[in-house]
Amino acid sequence: MRCKELEAVLEQEGLSPLPPEAQEHLAECPDCQDFFADISAIAVAAKQIPAEENPPDRVWISLRAQLAAEGIIREEAPLELAASIPWWQNLSQLFRPRMLASVGAGILVVLGSVYVTNRPRLNSAQHTPTSQGALTSSQPKISEAAESLAPAPVGSAPAAAAKNGSPTARVTRVSVPPLPREAPRDLKPSPSESAYLGESAAVLSATESALPGRQLAGNAMADASLRANLRTLNEFIAECEARLKQNPQDQLTREYLNVAYQQKAELLTAMMDSGRSEH
Amino acid sequence: MRQRTWTERSVVTALGAGLFLCAGGLAVARPPEQQERHFKVKERPLVVLQNIVNGRIEVKSWKNAEVVVTSSAASDKVAIDVEQVGDRIDINASSLVDSAQPHEAEANFQLVVPEQTELQLKTQTGLILVEQVNGDMKLQSVAGDVHLKEVSGYIIVRTTGGSLVCTLCSGKLEFTSISGNATVVQPSLNNVNVMTTTGNILYDGDFIHTGFYQMNSGRGLIEVRFSGNDSFDLKAQTSLGTVDNQAAAFLKPDSHGNHASTDKFRHSLIGTVGQGLAKVELSSYSGTIRILKRD
Repeated sequence: MRCKELEAVLEQEGLSPLPPEAQEHLAECPDCQDFFADISAIAVAAKQIPAEENPPDRVWISLRAQLAAEGIIREEAPLELAASIPWWQNLSQLFRPRMLASVGAGILVVLGSVYVTNRPRLNSAQHTPTSQGALTSSQPKISEAAESLAPAPVGSAPAAAAKNGSPTARVTRVSVPPLPREAPRDLKPSPSESAYLGESAAVLSATESALPGRQLAGNAMADASLRANLRTLNEFIAECEARLKQNPQDQLTREYLNVAYQQKAELLTAMMDSGRSEH
Repeated sequence: MRQRTWTERSVVTALGAGLFLCAGGLAVARPPEQQERHFKVKERPLVVLQNIVNGRIEVKSWKNAEVVVTSSAASDKVAIDVEQVGDRIDINASSLVDSAQPHEAEANFQLVVPEQTELQLKTQTGLILVEQVNGDMKLQSVAGDVHLKEVSGYIIVRTTGGSLVCTLCSGKLEFTSISGNATVVQPSLNNVNVMTTTGNILYDGDFIHTGFYQMNSGRGLIEVRFSGNDSFDLKAQTSLGTVDNQAAAFLKPDSHGNHASTDKFRHSLIGTVGQGLAKVELSSYSGTIRILKRD
């Protein structure tokens, strides 16, 4: 057996008892002995690494609220693992509209490139206006698509900061002529969005009820401030939720509710950390 | 004889007890122990201070390439650690007992730093005061106020209930709070992002051309005072509050094609002052937004 063959055996079978041929080679080859020793040391060290701990739910809620406030996400991504889905359900995914649209777009691209490759050559004078026309006609569609994929809530602090903070956004604002605005869409929250808010509220309530009744952080003034601000946020959240129940399309209130949830998650984290930081 | 001995013993005991009480009283009333430490640094050091007990943090600058940390702890129930690693100086103050009284769990700091210094300061209840420091800074407090004077850089302030007073600040400012107020006076800031849930916001100063200013308050008052030389696009909107426009004479219809929202759930005001070079966005949930011109 050669060194490379031994490496292949180790790669495929790991450190489980090696076949006799590999053991013979290992006994004779000092390079492979070093390599084997390294691999063994890595395996031992890897076993000593503690298992990763998932961050608490409130961290995810804070993150999700931030993304929702910035308009980056609109609804929850499915959390099921692909491995747990039966193969026939995976097959059915192929016939979903989004997948069909992607496949259709792919076919169009292929057909288009075949057409471009095989079409009769045009002179540049004829060609330029056509391509410009195609470009200008495609611009609004791209813009609309981008807008519908990532709606930036008007007036949202994080969204507007992201919109104006990036140099790219500034360039776009200056160079692209104003485009016709998309008609206002129905702002009613999707069922998943409602579920998201409900889930967030439930997790935050659970975290809140788990807060110790005793003083946090060994600091009475800080403790009083944290608790008073938690009450303030709860009142504000209740007010926003009552308003949204009456007027589900009130986008500004929804933005404030999102920010309040995010602040509450951060506040609860600070409170829990304060409790833990007591030695 | 026996009676006299008993009396002497009583007197000695009483005197002893008195001395003990006096000594205890002196111990309680003793002045905080003060320590001063010096650290040589290069041009742009980073100072990280975590004060998880009560106390005040004061930061001032000087021309020397040296950081001076003066700390005072009110009792021996507070541990203060200071460590230098290259140009980074870490300062930590923590309580050594579970339930120290507020006056016992207190550590105050005075820092003198080079003008170009980055700061990361965190405290619970004391005031954070920073003067004449140029450098990025992140200041966090639960209930303590934050006062900044003549500072510049990327300034991030986060409080739970503490308020911010920013005088003659320049650069970029981010303030987030639940119930803290924000007062920004005579700024040269080109990017402002202020968000408070129930606090008030006062912005009294110029808007730098091409700057972006965003101020949001859930329930508080937002008041913006601009000067006649300012040039900005204004967008103010509120769900349940009101927009009090006391500068109607200076506010023209928006020159960049923006129109007031047709959303029936919000009151909004859109307009332009001057050529509309800067961008100002104000929003509240139920508070008042007031726009006025300085005299």
